[in-house]
Amino acid sequence: MAEATTDQVKVVDFAVREHRSLWGDAWRRLISNRTAQLGMFIVFFMVFSTTMAHFFWEYDPKIDSDYTLKLKPPNLTANEDVESVHIFGTDQLGRDIFRRVVHGGWNSIMVGFVAVGISLSIGGLLGLLAGFFEAVPISSTERYVFKGGVGLALGVLPAWIADQTVILVLFTLLGVLSAFADLNWSEKSWRVWLIIFLGAAFGAVPALMTSIYTALFTGFLGLLIGMILSRRLGGELLSNTTMRGMDIILAFPSYLLAIAIVVFLGPGLEKGMIAIGIVGIPVFARLVRSSVLSVIQKEYVLAANATGEGHGRVMFLHILPNILSPIIVQSTMALAGAILAAAALGYLGLGAQPPEPEWGSMLGDSYRFLTSGAWWAVIFPGVAIMLIVLGFNLLGDGLRDALDPKLKI
Amino acid sequence: MEYVSITYLHPPVFISQEEDLIRYTLRRLISVIPTLIGVTLVVFLFQRLIPGDPAIAMLGEHATEENVERIREQFGLNRPLFLDREALAEGDFVGFVDTQYLRYMSRLIVLDLGTSIHRRIPVAETLALRFPATVELALLAMLIATTIGLPVGILSAARRGSFIDGSTMIGSLVGVSIPIFWLGLMLIMLFGVTLNWLPVGGRLSTGIEVKEITHLLLVDSLITGNIPAFKDAFQHIIMPAIALATIPMAIIARMTRSSMLDVLQEDYIRTAHAKGLHERVVLYRHALKNAFLPVVTIIGLQLGALLAGAVLTETIFAWPGIGKWVYDGILARDYPIVQGGTLLIAIIFIFFSIIVDLSYALLDPRIHYD
Repeated sequence: MAEATTDQVKVVDFAVREHRSLWGDAWRRLISNRTAQLGMFIVFFMVFSTTMAHFFWEYDPKIDSDYTLKLKPPNLTANEDVESVHIFGTDQLGRDIFRRVVHGGWNSIMVGFVAVGISLSIGGLLGLLAGFFEAVPISSTERYVFKGGVGLALGVLPAWIADQTVILVLFTLLGVLSAFADLNWSEKSWRVWLIIFLGAAFGAVPALMTSIYTALFTGFLGLLIGMILSRRLGGELLSNTTMRGMDIILAFPSYLLAIAIVVFLGPGLEKGMIAIGIVGIPVFARLVRSSVLSVIQKEYVLAANATGEGHGRVMFLHILPNILSPIIVQSTMALAGAILAAAALGYLGLGAQPPEPEWGSMLGDSYRFLTSGAWWAVIFPGVAIMLIVLGFNLLGDGLRDALDPKLKI
Repeated sequence: MEYVSITYLHPPVFISQEEDLIRYTLRRLISVIPTLIGVTLVVFLFQRLIPGDPAIAMLGEHATEENVERIREQFGLNRPLFLDREALAEGDFVGFVDTQYLRYMSRLIVLDLGTSIHRRIPVAETLALRFPATVELALLAMLIATTIGLPVGILSAARRGSFIDGSTMIGSLVGVSIPIFWLGLMLIMLFGVTLNWLPVGGRLSTGIEVKEITHLLLVDSLITGNIPAFKDAFQHIIMPAIALATIPMAIIARMTRSSMLDVLQEDYIRTAHAKGLHERVVLYRHALKNAFLPVVTIIGLQLGALLAGAVLTETIFAWPGIGKWVYDGILARDYPIVQGGTLLIAIIFIFFSIIVDLSYALLDPRIHYD
């Protein structure tokens, strides 16, 4: 049998399908999807125009007012009444609305991106940890860190009551110590009693410096903490605490919670970003947790665990890339929601502070002039909000179809 | 974000064979308690951190020192927030737990929500007055949303790819993209100002009285046969209800459509068609019943969200509901209002998610002919 020549190999190559990656396929599906095309066009158009305006079209909102041009309707050509052209009209301070809409977009879109960034990074991480450790037992090193953390968290209360920082340190140590006992001995032994006793002692002794009554109380608290720490705590606890915390955030209506946070932080664009970001955390935590749980029993995760890869590597190199689809889709949709929420905060006067242009606060400033017929001051910022939100929603829809047609969000 | 659009927020609950419905319900209700305690803790934490003294806010900046002190004493604002460690150090165990939070919790057990700092009216009283307004608005909005969203979703699933389907999908995306306050403003501009057909705020015109039975003005005026009052109340509620209904309507339509599309691909649908059943029977008896669960979830969660108070809609239309009330309370630092209102809102919200979970168990998707 003669050996194959190079020519023959080439022929064989033609028979093999060209290599196509998962993401390449998804991208091809995305750009051939009409919904996504429209969404991408809108998003690109809005983001591009506001970015260009932000960097290349100078605008100082502090000096931009002209009372002679108060509330002029849109005009396409200069006339004797209005000598300058204002295609969107002017507002109650005689400012050109077109200019403010284009510049305001930067603020509105920025809020969206930063807020989603906050919710995604915090919520995503919490969800990843909660989901992973719900299904995979924690390793010995992790147990030391985890129980130390539990000791630290529980020690805050007695430490505060006794006004002694050393209690915090002692309970953290007790946590680490209990992890040691956890790993090396069976549960029903004298070591359990030792930990409980140490808990009571750690709570009471430093508190004696404050007063005998305080020591009594913190000693009792320490006893309870010792009882908790003497148990075998694992991923269940981590997952449960995280998700119950998320439940608490979810129990508040999102707008009301965002308003409360902004009132607490003080009004302003950055505060709005933080507030909206915090409110969005549970959504991502739940999504990521359930996605993690849906892939955690897959063979590639089991294989990675079996070959002894570190938990961090398994989480970020094996699980995360495989649950990206729902995260990407949800992030796009969340961007739309965050921009809407930012506009709502602005409308209520809690977002961007005047004279800074922002779509929501532009609406809030000028809706009073609706009754005098100044429709243009309200229409254009509103349409801008609607367009960008619609754009992100369309894009999210298209992304969902492209990335994972079976996904339901 | 005045809506919860995402199904995975509520993963379906599967009740095991061993655990019956009553025990499951009890377990859920008990598991709510820590969440509620967490909610009250968060509310209290906020109030400590929010800058501004309610006593000064109430008396004005020129109030004398004694008056401020007296008000602080009267409302317990001079006490520490959670625990008094100084009192404990002196051996005063009663003083240790005699704090704002624990006083509030002990009053809560006997359902005393406290008194508004600014208005000096019991919070529970105002709540009873304000909540029906929110309920009425939410129910009407949900009625509008469901009666339009559901059929539209079914229709667009049945005629997949048609013009109706396309316009439903685009329309529903526009629906979730409209800023609700902007839509409200547009409605006010069109129907309230330009056409002058509808009143722009409030629940009832001055001078019109309704004998209150259920406190839902539409229902009360109908029961008592007070047609002019019904007409007036309807004119007041219709604009906010439409504004509030937009988002749920869009979500219900989308959810119904996608759920129906899933079901319509099933084998038993083909079988039903092959048996020669009429399309309407297949659509409503076979497909809809099986596609209904996610839709019910969405409707329940949306209703819960609407009942929890629509801050924006209520603010724009000056609707005297709890959303606007709590919002005003936050701005005015009226702690009892914020605490009472938030707690009620959280309870409603959680309660509805339990109902939604239970509906999974109760709604049996198996088809039966009657």
